[in-house]
Amino acid sequence: MVNPGLVLDLVQRVGAVPRYATATVHAGPGDPGELEAIVAAWCARTGNELVSFDAGAAVVRRGRSPDPLGELAPDHVPGTRLWMYTNFDCNLACDYCCVRSSPQSARRALGVDRVRRLATEAVAAGVSELILTGGEPFLLPDLDKLVAACTAALPTTLLTNGMLFRGRRLDILRRMDRDRLTLQISLDSATAGPHDEHRGRGSWERAVAGIRIAQDEGFRVRVAATLPYERSHQQSAFHGFLDTLGIAATDQVIRALAHRGEADHGVELTLETLVPEVTVTADGIYWHPVSADHEDQFVTADIFPLDDAITEVRRRFTETRARATAAAQWFPCA
Amino acid sequence: MSEPLIVGSVAYSPNIVTIWEGIRDYFSGSDAEMDFVLFSNYGRQVDALLAGSIDLAWNTNLAWVRTVAQTDGACRALAMRDTDTVFQTVFVARAGAGIGSLDDLAGRRLALGSKDSAQAAILPVHYLDHVGPGADQVQLTRIDSDVGKHGDTGRSELDALRAVLDDEADAAAIGINTWEAIGREELMPGAFEAFWESPPYSHCNFTALPHVPEERTDPWLQHLLAMDWENPAHRPILEMEGLRQWVSPQLDGYDTLFAAVEEQGISPRW
Repeated sequence: MVNPGLVLDLVQRVGAVPRYATATVHAGPGDPGELEAIVAAWCARTGNELVSFDAGAAVVRRGRSPDPLGELAPDHVPGTRLWMYTNFDCNLACDYCCVRSSPQSARRALGVDRVRRLATEAVAAGVSELILTGGEPFLLPDLDKLVAACTAALPTTLLTNGMLFRGRRLDILRRMDRDRLTLQISLDSATAGPHDEHRGRGSWERAVAGIRIAQDEGFRVRVAATLPYERSHQQSAFHGFLDTLGIAATDQVIRALAHRGEADHGVELTLETLVPEVTVTADGIYWHPVSADHEDQFVTADIFPLDDAITEVRRRFTETRARATAAAQWFPCA
Repeated sequence: MSEPLIVGSVAYSPNIVTIWEGIRDYFSGSDAEMDFVLFSNYGRQVDALLAGSIDLAWNTNLAWVRTVAQTDGACRALAMRDTDTVFQTVFVARAGAGIGSLDDLAGRRLALGSKDSAQAAILPVHYLDHVGPGADQVQLTRIDSDVGKHGDTGRSELDALRAVLDDEADAAAIGINTWEAIGREELMPGAFEAFWESPPYSHCNFTALPHVPEERTDPWLQHLLAMDWENPAHRPILEMEGLRQWVSPQLDGYDTLFAAVEEQGISPRW
């Protein structure tokens, strides 16, 4: 028989640490498999968590790790929103583009058939909103069909630089469902200078014109700005400008510059620091739209079934948070 | 709104702060807000209750008996855990030791927990006297590992079990909660077996003195009783405190301990 005092030690040592902290209990002599089974059975019975069993030492967490998904706000749970990269090519070559889009980028389009299937499966998977982005989606000749497939399924947001609303592309815009679609147009500043510095000369003026066209066509317009740290003090002026454009306060989105893609500085976003938003590209599933062409945040090449992809992202998120928590417990100060 | 009720509790576990901050948060915003004060032992807590520096005390059964003794019964029990109504003492021995009843302890060694533990010391002696061979017929080994906390830490009961494993005792008397915590006979077959379990008795309760009127305690009590196991916001606190539901006190469950305290001449104070 294995060390009969093992369970007494477990009760005493684990009972002496605060909730969620870990205690190490040396199992004593005996068959390692049998000892681990006893520790696991005790943990299961008492509502504690066996973190590891190695070389006769059991690391046990008092209580069970909180479910990281349960700690998120409901609308932040991965899979609540589904991002789709319709394409990666763009009419602009912004110097901080997180996915390195430009006129020279390969299109890498998802295509209407996959978008339609994704939209259908998204409903079944419990997704509540679809978000289409690129590249510049309005470069696609069949964008209206993609958007129609999405808006028929769920409320949808379409990200664009707003610079292409004329001729055939304006006709495409006009065919979209105003009740189910929000246009999110990128605009970085209240004046042309800072915006054009990163996005190209004349781009600010055309983006502002695009906002007005979209509003005149009856679309809800959200404006999203990318703000480097050095301009973070300019927010109030920018909000004031957006007010004059008639953009609702809740539709004025300002986000920090991410150190991803073409950006040579900005906020570092890693698996450990980034709550995932399930993102689909032609190449597969990514952790988050800000890293949609970065290997470190590639999840799986299997886009379908979408429900499996969402489950995998959630599983990795839970695993990543558990690993980070465990690492925090281990880190020595000296 | 009246002043928050101040509840005393003994800090017997590192989770006590978490538990009481959780309970305080639960009461926050209600019409019966509360705060808490922690004590290192029950003697100090009962003194504070009698002095009026706390309004309620989360008392063990021995602390309740001592409060009753010091107030001539002028105190009220407001509520207890569902698990407090069915507490038991369990006598255990090494499996196969040939001990099958309390009478078999005659001439043998019994390890008891801390001397102020009702479940692991005071009541076991009472049971030996009333349904066993008599405590004077048993060689008692007292393990006073956590005196002052009335056995709440469980440490003295674990040490009593270790004494059995180390052949320093033939049997041990422990609380049902410790017996459950080690998985009864099931986790380590062949290590221990229970040979006698006491009738259920009452354990902890919230105790109030008359100077705290029912107009103040009733709203607090109603809100306490409304804690819901099925509510995800309430459950972690209930789990940590070891209950599924707060219930009205069962005072007749203290009769045995009152008798044991009187028989054994246990001081009404500290």
